[in-house]
Amino acid sequence: MEDAVGPVLRMCDELELVVRAIEDDNPAGSVEIIDYGAYVRVQRPGFLRLTRASLERHVGVGFRMSQLESIMSAFAGRIRTSSDEVVWYFQTTNASSGENAR
Amino acid sequence: MALMKREEWQDLVREVDWTLSFADDNAVFPEWQSETGKVPRDAWSAWEESYKISYSEYVSVQREKEASAFAVKAALQRSTVFSSLDEGWKSCAKLHFGAVSLAEYMAFVAEARMARFGLAGAWRNMAVLGALDEIRHCQLSLFFAHEFVSKDPQYDWALKAFHTNQWVIVAARALFDAMMVGGNVVDTAIQLPLVFETGFTNLQFVGLASDALASGDINFANMISSVQTDEARHAQQCGPTLELLMKHDPVRAQWIVDKMFWLSARVFAVLTGHAMDYYTPLDHRKQSYKEFMREWIVSQFIRTLQDYGLKKPWYWEEFIEGLDIWHHSLHLGVWFWRPTVWWKPQAGVSKAERKWLSAKYPKWEEIYGPIWDQIIANVNNGNMQATLPETVPWLCNTCHLPQCTHTASHDGRYLVQDFALTHDGYTYHFCSRVCRQIWWEDRDMLHVKTLTERLLAGDIQPPDFAGLLKYMGLTPDVMGDDAYNYNWAADYDQPGYGRTRHANGERNMNEAHPIPINAKFGNDFVMQMVVIMAADTMAEVAQKVARHSVGKRVKPQTRDMVVYYEGRAVAADATATEVGIRPLQHVFVDYV
Repeated sequence: MEDAVGPVLRMCDELELVVRAIEDDNPAGSVEIIDYGAYVRVQRPGFLRLTRASLERHVGVGFRMSQLESIMSAFAGRIRTSSDEVVWYFQTTNASSGENAR
Repeated sequence: MALMKREEWQDLVREVDWTLSFADDNAVFPEWQSETGKVPRDAWSAWEESYKISYSEYVSVQREKEASAFAVKAALQRSTVFSSLDEGWKSCAKLHFGAVSLAEYMAFVAEARMARFGLAGAWRNMAVLGALDEIRHCQLSLFFAHEFVSKDPQYDWALKAFHTNQWVIVAARALFDAMMVGGNVVDTAIQLPLVFETGFTNLQFVGLASDALASGDINFANMISSVQTDEARHAQQCGPTLELLMKHDPVRAQWIVDKMFWLSARVFAVLTGHAMDYYTPLDHRKQSYKEFMREWIVSQFIRTLQDYGLKKPWYWEEFIEGLDIWHHSLHLGVWFWRPTVWWKPQAGVSKAERKWLSAKYPKWEEIYGPIWDQIIANVNNGNMQATLPETVPWLCNTCHLPQCTHTASHDGRYLVQDFALTHDGYTYHFCSRVCRQIWWEDRDMLHVKTLTERLLAGDIQPPDFAGLLKYMGLTPDVMGDDAYNYNWAADYDQPGYGRTRHANGERNMNEAHPIPINAKFGNDFVMQMVVIMAADTMAEVAQKVARHSVGKRVKPQTRDMVVYYEGRAVAADATATEVGIRPLQHVFVDYV
């Protein structure tokens, strides 16, 4: 995938739930999931978002955005974090999306 | 208690610098540590990390990570998992623990330096948390390894390795000392968090975790993937630092990236390359090393560099070619010189494994097949002496790894070449043009003698193989041997060929007469140190060079041999003195 951005999630209980949250937060069918066993790449071209609201819905109420750190061994692209969401993006991309503008 | 969102108050605790007036800023942040260089001093106030965290969040999240890592360890404490793990896989773990545990501590020092001399308060905060992370990594690694010391003394090298002069560790120190503590903190921020932590460490801590889990080493897989979650955060110190450099001094940024990328790739070939392609049991290999490198480095890491405006390193094509070569040669060398390592190398060349290697690396059989065939014949003939070394490889003056890097020559063949450089009357040898160029650019920096040079200088006593093993700290209970006790060789049904005949029983390394030369025989994969005498004829020199390759890794032939010196064939009856061969020069010998 060209300009792939997104988290690399490590082996843990919540992995599938986080993947579902990511799928909720991004255009349908645009997220690619590659399973390597001990880690799973979740990515799409140029921009990917994950919100605390979606995580709370799938993982549980009270889930804090900072807890994502325990589950994410690495990521592709750049990252921007806040209490309500994390986004992965490139500043220069061939993907036709204005989503990654700051 | 209702908590404010972090971003509602974080800037209050991030921007905590003030302009010093009662102390000299240059004394508090001296140039040789902080080296702002072409970046204006006040530009650092714009430094902003992308992966934000507060101290209270840090404490809470790290507690969860530790509890999780130790819960898995505790759950497996009374299991028999360890005894059922493949012996080759265990070598992946032993190699990891030895080469990584104390390197993590050096990374703590690097983070602590950035915490002290970084020119932005927010950077220093991030580096403090990064320093705590690296203490965690060092202690986790040592603690997890410690469980197995009573079962296998090779695990003791988790702590011991960096206190020795073992050759892989010397190469690791050459890389890590330069990367982590050798320069100013701005360079360090590009070398360590950017090149190493967002690039190469992902292979060892995430990529290898998938092989670990598949191989049944749940504890190890869980530990290393947890460690890397810290890295994913503190490595982001590189981003804002790189942005400032790209704005004010992109040439500096590009050089640091290019240099550290190459040197990291060299060490990773001997750290991760053979772990993935030879030691991980065949059925559990998720991908080949080349495929993992393409995933994590060629695709993910390089795309990120380009997003910051950096270019691919100048030697890119040579690096890509090296993905087919470096780790195979280093694996062969590690296996052949197996008493010199603290793990048990798994040869990884059963018929099924060779089929896999050939499918993943189309050049493998052509370059390495004949060498392994000779070794296999020796094993099957019971000629174990011929499967062991009697001299040392010649080590590169930059990366400290053996000169065994095949590169494409102009006629399309892949050859191991000597890249020499004479400077101030001394001849240095390098594994590649790139290592030579890096050395030249940094020629005023501290240079440490290679083990080959230490042997030649008389630093290693006695100057023989036993002396070398002792110098490297290897004791008989730790010295490596084949992980499967050579039973993989029974896979082959080859009549005895390649019976080795040595000219005499003496070992070159015991000779007290020096003309030590850097020598290679034919298609053998490595340059070696051979000692000849001034009065030796070229026929005798050919025999002395041949004895370390022919019948060991090169199939013997009933043909004459010829010595090549400075690119020309030399008459068999000419002596070394007459030819003009001097110490440390390169000589090539081949069949006519």
